[in-house]
Formats: sequence, structure tokens, C-alpha cells
Amino acid sequence: MNDMTPEDRKSALKGMGTSRKRVEDARFTQGKGNYVDDIKLPGMLFGDFVRSPYAHARVTSVRKDTAMALPGVIAVLTAEDLAPLGLHWMPTLAGDKQMVLADGKVLYQGQEVAFVVAENRYIAADAVELVEVEYEELPVVTNPFKAMDADAPTLREDIAGKMDGAHGPRKHNNHIFTWEQGDKEATESVLSGADVVAEEMIYYHRTHPCPLETCGSVASMDKVNGKLTLYGTFQAPHAVRTVASLISGIAEHNIRVISPDIGGGFGNKVGVYPGYVCSIVASIVTGKPVKWVEDRMDNLMTTAFARDYHMHGKISATTDGKITGLWCHTTADHGGFDACADPTKFPAGFMNICTGSYDIPVAYLAVDGVYTNKAPGGVAYRCSFRVTEASYFIERMMDILAIKLDMDPVELRMKNFVRKDQFPYQSALGWEYDSGDYHTAMDKALKAVGYDNLRKEQAEKLAAFKAGESRSLMGIGTAFFTEIVGAGPVKNCDILGLGMFDSCEIRIHPTGSAIARLGTISQGQGHATTFAQILASEIGIPADDITLEEGDTDTAPYGLGTYGSRSTPVAGAATAMAGRKIRAKAQMIAAYLLEVHDDDVEFDIDRFVVKGAPERFKTMKEIAFAAYNQAIPGIEPGLEAVSYYDPPNMTYPFGAYICVMDVDVDTGVADIRSVYALDDCGTRINPMIIEGQVHGGLTEALAIAMGQEIAYDEMGNVKTGTLMDFFIPTAWETPNYITDHTTTPSPHHPIGAKGVGESPNVGGVSMFSNAVHDAFRPFGLTQSHMPHDHWRIWKTANQLGLHG
Amino acid sequence: MELQDEIRIKAPRETVYAALNDPEILKEAIPGCEEITKTSDTDLEAKVALKVGPVKARFSGKVKLDPSQAPEKFSLTGEGSGGPAGFAKGGADVELEEDGEETILRYTAKADIGGKLAQLGSRLITGTAKKLAASFFTKFAAAVEEAEAEA
Repeated sequence: MNDMTPEDRKSALKGMGTSRKRVEDARFTQGKGNYVDDIKLPGMLFGDFVRSPYAHARVTSVRKDTAMALPGVIAVLTAEDLAPLGLHWMPTLAGDKQMVLADGKVLYQGQEVAFVVAENRYIAADAVELVEVEYEELPVVTNPFKAMDADAPTLREDIAGKMDGAHGPRKHNNHIFTWEQGDKEATESVLSGADVVAEEMIYYHRTHPCPLETCGSVASMDKVNGKLTLYGTFQAPHAVRTVASLISGIAEHNIRVISPDIGGGFGNKVGVYPGYVCSIVASIVTGKPVKWVEDRMDNLMTTAFARDYHMHGKISATTDGKITGLWCHTTADHGGFDACADPTKFPAGFMNICTGSYDIPVAYLAVDGVYTNKAPGGVAYRCSFRVTEASYFIERMMDILAIKLDMDPVELRMKNFVRKDQFPYQSALGWEYDSGDYHTAMDKALKAVGYDNLRKEQAEKLAAFKAGESRSLMGIGTAFFTEIVGAGPVKNCDILGLGMFDSCEIRIHPTGSAIARLGTISQGQGHATTFAQILASEIGIPADDITLEEGDTDTAPYGLGTYGSRSTPVAGAATAMAGRKIRAKAQMIAAYLLEVHDDDVEFDIDRFVVKGAPERFKTMKEIAFAAYNQAIPGIEPGLEAVSYYDPPNMTYPFGAYICVMDVDVDTGVADIRSVYALDDCGTRINPMIIEGQVHGGLTEALAIAMGQEIAYDEMGNVKTGTLMDFFIPTAWETPNYITDHTTTPSPHHPIGAKGVGESPNVGGVSMFSNAVHDAFRPFGLTQSHMPHDHWRIWKTANQLGLHG
Repeated sequence: MELQDEIRIKAPRETVYAALNDPEILKEAIPGCEEITKTSDTDLEAKVALKVGPVKARFSGKVKLDPSQAPEKFSLTGEGSGGPAGFAKGGADVELEEDGEETILRYTAKADIGGKLAQLGSRLITGTAKKLAASFFTKFAAAVEEAEAEA
């Protein structure tokens, strides 16, 4: 090692900036992953739910005897059985409460009515069919605007007349909260005196994260030592332990929560679901381990929808395109219970990032949350809290304003970008953007795609269409997003009172390898690969010599988990800070070993060298051994550190996305020709993993924009409860992606990283949707609702009179 | 979901009308019918086993007849529940037109379905319903004609 060049020593570490191969993939690609459903405990029982076929009904009786008579059935639990334990209802993450099992009525199709526990899964499924439930139908409300009508039926009878909600006053029995940000009066006055105002209703439809692995848990109550072990698909295992302790009364030290491998989360696995609670209760009741795993229909119908925001917007500008104000009123459809996963003080998440990347002097946002007969949820599906909604809103409003001003949408964006010299930038709706260089990013994107030539080609194609020589229209979709991730500073970010810091604990072994444990949990993001890289650069131990562990609350330090692109901004910072504590102690040890003063040694890649005499050094390996095995006066043995990191601010990744598609007006097929995605996520830890994240996020964006939705009919039936109807892109539909980047480090993050996993979904949906709209712009289209499936595109063409 | 069709039955209108009120003939004609009982002149209860795509269910339902315009017109409403598989409710208007010794039967039926049936079966339900209706009337016509021939 001593004759290696500094470059060789650096590359041997596989530290930050290296496209290190994912260490997780060896087990995943060989089928050696260990997911919840792989967990098999001796004597384990299986649970399954009796679910309501009705969207709104009274439950008049539940008869268990026929089901109980089936050999192999151990128990059938109803709300009545859970009531004495106080577990028939549970708190939601949004300050509301939710029925664990139907308590007198059901509020959405698929709601949990009874929990059958049996010797195996097949018996449980058969027994579900034998539980006889009588319902009395009630009028169904699936439209949030109708839910607020004076004569609308009261959905939540448990809180009828209680007009003081978790987020302030309620104005109707089906109303949850009103959340206001910004300056209403000033905004309305600017709008009323503006040269130009564009107004539109932007609907971001209901969809679902639909991870490959559905939700599930295995609860094992050991009645001898009083310990509950809970395996589950948890994106926040530590929070689950605390919440489980609070609602069950079991002391927190007697609960061990383990998130094993997780097959994709995308927000679906943040919430607390009746299945988790029922598996715990069933294990306590039976004294045996109980497993519950959703099937695909259960997953799509009941656990954690996303979006469903009706966003009414007004944006004003001068005639030459300088934006003067932004106004938004959102009606948020939360379903039967308010189970949104947002920080407590933000009932509509970070929707107030809706001023986007633009310098908008004054803005106002109001969000009304409403109950309907749909499943609860409102999770951040591959985005930070409600950021895709905010970004879609502003990026559609920008394109609509550009139409009104008869301007190119890119020109309008360039004219209004927050300038580099304005950072840190204080937005009109209360955020302090940490860093950005939007003009550079957009310029780079425009050059890369040859924007001017694309517009020329588009004009030629349009002329050919109008001349009757072609039946296809070219659309160019541009989106420029600013994300807000890394929740968050404990001063304003908590979930159920739990501060949103995160943590890392490092132990260096005597031979110079290490283990690091974090409060987060990977669901495919590759934490074991990337966090080891951060440490490799910080402490000079090769990433290959560092084991990374997450997800076991008995061993990992407390943290709030992985969602909202918070792992790198928060736990990544904790990792760097813990590494720096290791390095500080290593410096003292090195100085002692080299017989110089602490200040006379400096860190150099993988060693400490004497300043001015680089031939005198101690490698981290030597230092680690000495830390344990040499008596050093004044320094206690060992080399360990822990850091709990409370971020001073959020981070604000951004990006410029451009795609080109050809829309066939007769078939409604949108053929996506090219997709260019430039991301600026600050310091880049592993470029290969970033690229993979961008590919995945763009594909989910494609799904959402072009076909994926959770649709209900008027009776409250879920019409898209299977993968026959719920669109998941395959390699066939997925276009080729070109990725690019600029690097604007976060000034407040220890390594300057901002987080990236969700950016492509935030920017991608607007990009694809803007392209569809752009294709029809010459024919007067301002807004058509997503998803832009073939049928809807055909309908748009038809309504615009393009079918002759 | 709406269905309509017409069939010709080789029997006089009175016979056809009587058959539509005869539990025995109905039981024979309704696909999957396991049990049918008349609880009053205008009320029937039935148990029917059905399979729509991947959903198999045993429905128990109630049907109410409206014979006020009999024998020319005749309508019925009903609802059935198949437990976790879902539920259905709807109605039908039946018109019986005399054509010599034969009768032309026209029907318009409307149905709403809910639960798993509606979710899983949405692509299949209309096709299945048409098939079931066709099967019912074919068997019904055969049963009536057979009874007529014997008489």
C-alpha cells in the first residue's frame, strides 16, 4: 500500500464519486433476499381480512360460527373483540384515528371488517368466505366537492359535530382541515390589477405506489419473556416501535421491530395499517407467531393511495412575461380517514413549494382536506410530501401562462427563474431554498436536446398535419422542478411528535474494517453501497471493508426512516458527522503514535501524515489496531462514534427535463421519442446509483402521467384493483433515457449532497404531461386531466375536432 | 350495465306469462339456480351459484315482481348478495307481444354490481351477463315449448 500513488489509494477506497457496484445485488439477483414473506417461524399462523364490498354501509351483524367451524381456523377477530383492548381504532400519522376493524360501519370498499386467523393461508382464505356479514347500504360520496355540499351524508359519524380537528377548525362534517400559507390579500390584489391572468383547474388524479412486494408483517409475542418481535414492511421501523408501544401499552424496550429486505416502498410502507395491528393482537391472543401479507388487490384497494388533489390556480404576469403573483386553492380528497403521512405541522405536506423554481413576489395557498368514501392514505409516492402535486401544479400553470402570453414555455421559465445570486432564496410561501443554478442547468439541457431545432421540426410537422399529409402531432414537454427533501429540521418537522432527525453509529474493528448502523432502511435505494462510500471518503477505510446495517431497532440507532428522499440529506449527514468523530479520535491516536502534537498531523485519504513530512504516517488500519490494543495516555480504548443529525434546513435538488413525443390523433397513442433528464442533486455519491434512481423514477412518472390511476365508479367500486387495469410499464412501454447533471452542492449539508431518488418522479410527470398538452397547443388545448392514456388522448383529439 | 334482446317463443302469451311466474320453470332456466321459492304472489327468493371470470360466488337474492300491466308488460326488481364476492342489484322490463300462436319476448335489463365482482369482473361482466341472459331465455323458451307440446 505504501508504494501506491495517492490516486491509487483513493480509488482503492471506492469512496464518494465512484460508480461502485451495488453490494446488495449479489443476494437479490440470486434469489437470496430475505423479505417479510420469507420469514417462517415455528408454529406460525396466518391472518387474512374479511373486507367490505360496499363503499359506505352500516355493518349490522358479523357471524363467525360457520367460519370457526372450518377445521384449521383458530380465531375470527372483529371490532368487538379488539374494543376491550382499546385497539379497534388506531391513531393515524395525520392526527386522525382510523378503524382497525369496522366499528359499526364501513367507509370505503375493501375496508377491514374481520380478521381470520388460521393454520395456513389457504384455510384463512376459505374461512374469509364463510364469515357472514350483513350490511345496510348508505349513500356513497366519491366526489370531494359533493362531500362538502350542505346536504351530503355525514361519513365520519364518530366525529360528527366535533368541529375542532387535528389541524384547526372544521367547517363541515366531511371537512378535515383548511391549511393556509402566504399572503391572501396581497396576492388577490396583485391578481385583480394584473396585465395577464391565467386560471385553470389542475387535477392530479389518485394513484398508488404499488411496490413489487406488498405490505405485510409477522408478529411474534413471546409470553414467557414478554417480548414482542415484529417483522414488517416498514419504511420507518423505529417510529413503528414507538407507535406500537404507545398504542399497545407494551414497554418500548420489550418491542423489537425488524424491517428485513423491502421490495420497494415508494411511500406505501410509511403508514400504519390494520394488518400490522391485527397480526400483533392475534399473536398476543394465540401465543403464536402470526403472519399477514396483502395480496395485490388488497394493496391497491386499501393501503396508501397517493395524490388526488384538485388544484385551482391563478397566475398573473406582465405582458412581457414577468410573473407577479400566484394563487392556489386545493381540494384534497383524503378518503375515509385522514391517514396522510406528512410532518405534523404540514397537513398538506410541502405543497407550499408550489412557487417552484420561479421568483414569484407574492403567493397564496389554501388546502381543504375532505373525507370521501375512498381508501385512506395520501402518501408521498416517490416524492417528498406532496411535492409532485406542487410541481405538477406550477409546471402546468407555467405552460398555460405561456399559451396566454403567446410565448415559448422555456422562454417564460428562463425569464422567471430564481437567479443564482438570489440564493439562499426566501420563497413567498415560506421556504429558504439552499442553493441553485437554474439558468445553467436549463441552458445545458436546451443545448443537449437541440431545443431550437426541435421547435422547427415541430412547426414542420404541424404544417404537414394541417395539409393533411400526416395524422401525428409532435409534442415537446419541458419541466423544470425544484424539490424540497430531507425532512427535516426538528424545530418544524415531526411525525406524531417524533422529531425527524436521523442517525448513524460506527464501530471500527481492531483490524481496520468497520460496521455502521443507521436509523434509515433501504427499500432498494442501495444504502449499503452508498453510505459505505460516504464513510470510505470520511474515514479512509475501503467501502468494501464496511458493513452497513439498518432496520433492526434492537441494534440500530433511532431514526425516522426512509421516505421523502431524506436518507442522504439526514442519515447521510449523520454518517459523515459520525465519521468525522472517528477521524478526530484517530488524529489523536496518530499523533501519539507519531510522537507529534495533534495539530501536526493531517488526514490524507486513508492515513494521517505528519505535516510537511508525508513519509511519516499511520494508516487508518494501524490506528484502528492501536486504538484497541495500545495503552494511550488520556485516550480510552476503542474506536466508535454515534451521531444524531438534526438538519438545519431542507435540501432543494432541481432539474431540467425535456421529452419529445409523437401523438397519433386517430389512435391516441403517444410514441415517446426521447427523454432527457438533467438532475442537480448536489454532491454525487455514486453516479451509477443516481442514474438507476433516475431511470426508475422516470418510469414511475411515465406510468402516472400516461396511464396509472386508482379510479372509482359512482358506487365506490375500485375499478383499477388489479394489474390488468392498473398500469405498470414494462420494457415495452418504457422509452430510452438520457441522463445528465450539474452539481450545485448544498451549503449546509456536511458533504453537500441533496438527495435524488424522487426527483425524476417530481420532474417526470410534468414533463410527460406537458408534452401531451404541447402537441395539442396549436388547436387550443389548455388543460386535460391525466393519465394521458390512449383513450383520453383520442378523446382530446376528438373534442378539438381533429377527427374531421 | 344495460342489456336488451328479444326472442320468439312458440307458445301463446298467457302460457309464457304463467311460466315467468312458475318457480319450477324458472329454476330450470336460471343458470346455476339451486333453489327458488315463492314467498308471496309477487316475491321470490333464490340461491344461485355463479362464476364471473376468477370470481365464484353463491348469491342469495330477493326478487319482487310488478304484474300490474300483465300480461303485455311485466317488470321485476331484485338484489342479491354474494358475500365477499360482491353484490348486485337491478331490474328488468319485459314485454310480451302476441304474434299469432307465438309470443315475442323483449327485455331491457339494468344492473349495478359491486365488490370483487365489479373489480375483477369489470372487463368480463357485460359479456358474462349477456351470455347468462341468453342462456336463461333459451332454456326458458325450451321449457315453455316443451310444456306447451306436452299440454
